[in-house]
Amino acid sequence: MTGLDYLWQALTPLNILLALAGVVAGTIIGSLPGLTATMAVAVLVPITFSMEPASALILMGAIYTGAIYGGAYSAILLNTPGTPSAIATTFDGYPMAKRGDGDLAITLACISSVVGGLIGAGFLFALAPPLAEVALAFGPVEYFWLAVFGLTLISALSEGNLLKGLIGACFGLLLASVGVAEISADIRFTFGSQVLLGGIETVSALIGLYCIPVMIDLVATPDRHLKVTTESKGFRLREALVISWKGKFNLIRSSVIGTLVGILPGAGGSIAGLVAYSEARRSSRRSAFFGKGEPDGVQATESANNATVGGGFIPTLVLGIPGTPPDAVILGALMIQGVRTGPSLFTENGSIVYTFIYGLILATVLMLPAGLVIGRYAYKTIITIPKAMLVPTVAFMTMIGTYAIRNSISDVVIMIVLGVVGWFINRFGFSPSPIVLGLILGRIAEQGFVQAWTIGAAGEDLTGMFFGRPISLVIIVFTLLSLFYPLIRKRWSATGAVQNAD
Amino acid sequence: MRTEAKKRPEAGKTRGGIDLAGTLSAMVFIVLACLALWDTTSMTDSDSYVFPWAIAAAMIVFCILLIVYNLTRAAVGAGDSEGPESSLNHGSTPRRVGLVVAMLGPALAMPWTGFLLSGIIAFGAIMLLAMYDPWTGRRRIVFPLAGLAIVLGFYTLFSKVLLVPLPVGIWFR
Repeated sequence: MTGLDYLWQALTPLNILLALAGVVAGTIIGSLPGLTATMAVAVLVPITFSMEPASALILMGAIYTGAIYGGAYSAILLNTPGTPSAIATTFDGYPMAKRGDGDLAITLACISSVVGGLIGAGFLFALAPPLAEVALAFGPVEYFWLAVFGLTLISALSEGNLLKGLIGACFGLLLASVGVAEISADIRFTFGSQVLLGGIETVSALIGLYCIPVMIDLVATPDRHLKVTTESKGFRLREALVISWKGKFNLIRSSVIGTLVGILPGAGGSIAGLVAYSEARRSSRRSAFFGKGEPDGVQATESANNATVGGGFIPTLVLGIPGTPPDAVILGALMIQGVRTGPSLFTENGSIVYTFIYGLILATVLMLPAGLVIGRYAYKTIITIPKAMLVPTVAFMTMIGTYAIRNSISDVVIMIVLGVVGWFINRFGFSPSPIVLGLILGRIAEQGFVQAWTIGAAGEDLTGMFFGRPISLVIIVFTLLSLFYPLIRKRWSATGAVQNAD
Repeated sequence: MRTEAKKRPEAGKTRGGIDLAGTLSAMVFIVLACLALWDTTSMTDSDSYVFPWAIAAAMIVFCILLIVYNLTRAAVGAGDSEGPESSLNHGSTPRRVGLVVAMLGPALAMPWTGFLLSGIIAFGAIMLLAMYDPWTGRRRIVFPLAGLAIVLGFYTLFSKVLLVPLPVGIWFR
C-alpha cells in the first residue's frame, strides 16, 4: 500500500465522524476542571473495543488531542487549568480574559493547539523510529536534571520576587513529599493524619491553588467576573491569525519542545508547556509582559502541550513505552485489540499505524472549527451567566472533579484547604505557580535523584553519574543558560552600547 | 492584540515599604520547614529523608534571606504598594469566609450526607453568598431549579456515565 492509500483509508466517513466526535467529546471533558486527558481517554476506551484497530486509534487520538486543547478553556476563563497541561496557559490566558480579550485568547489557543498537534503528528509520521531512541537514552539522572531545568522557570514565575518564588517552590517540593515515599515506602509528613496518607494529588492541588482563590474573590464583590465589551467581536480569527503569524517562530519552537518532551516517558504535557513557556519568555523581546496577558505565552503553552500528543505516541508505538499517561491507556486498549507495538509495527502493521497518523492529523485539523465553535460557546456562557449561578456551578465542578480523580473525599478537603492557603499567600506576595511547579517536578526530581545516587554510589562514580553523561551535560548547559541568560543579555547590551559610543 | 502591561504594585507590601506580611509568612514557612526536618528524624531509610531534608533546609535559608532583606532594605516610597489589609478591605470578608465554609462543611459531612446532598447544600449556600442582585419572583424560582438541574446533571454524568463511585452517605444506606 502507498501513503495515499493510507490517507484514503483514514478519510472514510466513519473515521471522519469518529475523529470529529472524539475531538468534541475530548474538548468538553478536558474543559471540566479535574477531568484530565487520561480520564477522558480511559472513560471512552471501552467504546473502541468493537472497532477496527485503526478506527479505534483515531478515536482515542482525537479524544486525547481534544482534551488537551479543552483544558485551555477553564485556564483562560476561570484561571483553573482544565488539565495539568494547561497550567502555563493560566499565566497569560487569564489576564487576557480579565482585560476583555478572553475570546481572542481562546481562538489563539485553538490555532496554537492545531499547529502544535500537526507538528507533533508530523514528527510521528517522519521521524518516529530514530526519535524513539532518544527516549531510551534518558536515565534517572537525565530526568533529575530535566526537573532541575524545569525549576529554573521559578525566576519567570516569581513576579519580581525571586526569594518568594524559591520559598514557594520549596513548599511545593515538600508538598510533593507528603504521603508514602515512592522509593523506600516510608510515610512522610502525614503527622498521623489519614487524610494526608495518599499524598497531595497534583490536579487537586492545581484546582485548589488556582481556582479557589478566584472563587473567594468572586463571591466578595458584585463586580463582573471578566471584562465584557458591549459589541460582539465574533471569533476574532483574523486578529488571532495575525498574532500567530507574527509568533510563528515561537509556535514552531514550542511545538518542537512539546514533541521532544512528549517523547520522554513520564514527562507529559504540563512540563512541555512550562518549558516552552520559559523558552518563549526567555527569547522574547516582550519578556517583561509575560504573566500579564502576553499572547505569546498562550501560544507557547498551547502549541507545546498539543505537540506532546504526537510526541508521546512515538515511544508508545515504536517501543511499547507510553510517553504520556493517556498513551498508557491507549497502549492497553491496543493490546486488548491484539496489536503488538514495537519497531516492527511500522513495517508489519503499516496500514494501522499510517492510517492512524493520518487520522490524528485529520482530528487535529477538525479541532480548528470544532474548537472555535465550542470555545465561543464557552466564552459566551461564562460572560453571560449570572454570578449567583457561575460561582456555585464552578465550585461544585471543582468538588466533583477533584473527587473523581482518586474517588477520595480527602482530596476534596485538601483542594479546598490548599485554595485557602493559596488565597492567603497570594495576598502576601507569593505566587501559586512556583508551588505548583515544585509539586509537579518534586516527584520526578526526587525519584531521578535517588535512583541516580544509588546507581552512582554502587558504581563508585557519583560525579560521573551526575556530571559525566552527554545528555545530562546538555541539560545542565540549558539550565545555566536559562538561569543566567538575563545577566548575559544585560552584559551584551552594555558591551554593545559601549562599542557604539566608541 | 498586544496591550502594554500596566505597572502593578507588588502584592504583599504595606505602606512605608516594609513587607510585614512577607516577613510573617517567611516565619510561618520556617516553622513548617522545622516541622518537616523534625519529621525526617523518624524516617529510617536515607532515600526517604535526603531529598525533603535538603529542601526544608533550603527553605529555611531562603526564608531567613527574605526576612533579612525585608528588615535591612531601604524603605520604598509610601503609597506605591498595596498591602494585604487593603486587599481584604476590598470586598466582603464574611462572604469570603462563607464560601470556604460552604465548600468545606459539606465536603467534611460527605461520608454521612453523601455527595448529592452535600452538593445541593454547597450549591445553595454559595448561590446565596454570590447573589448581589435582588431576589425577584422569577429568580426565586429559576435559580434554585437551574442549580438543582446542574447538580443532578453532573451527579448523573459522573455516577452513571463515567461510573465514578460517588459516596451515597451513611444516612442513606
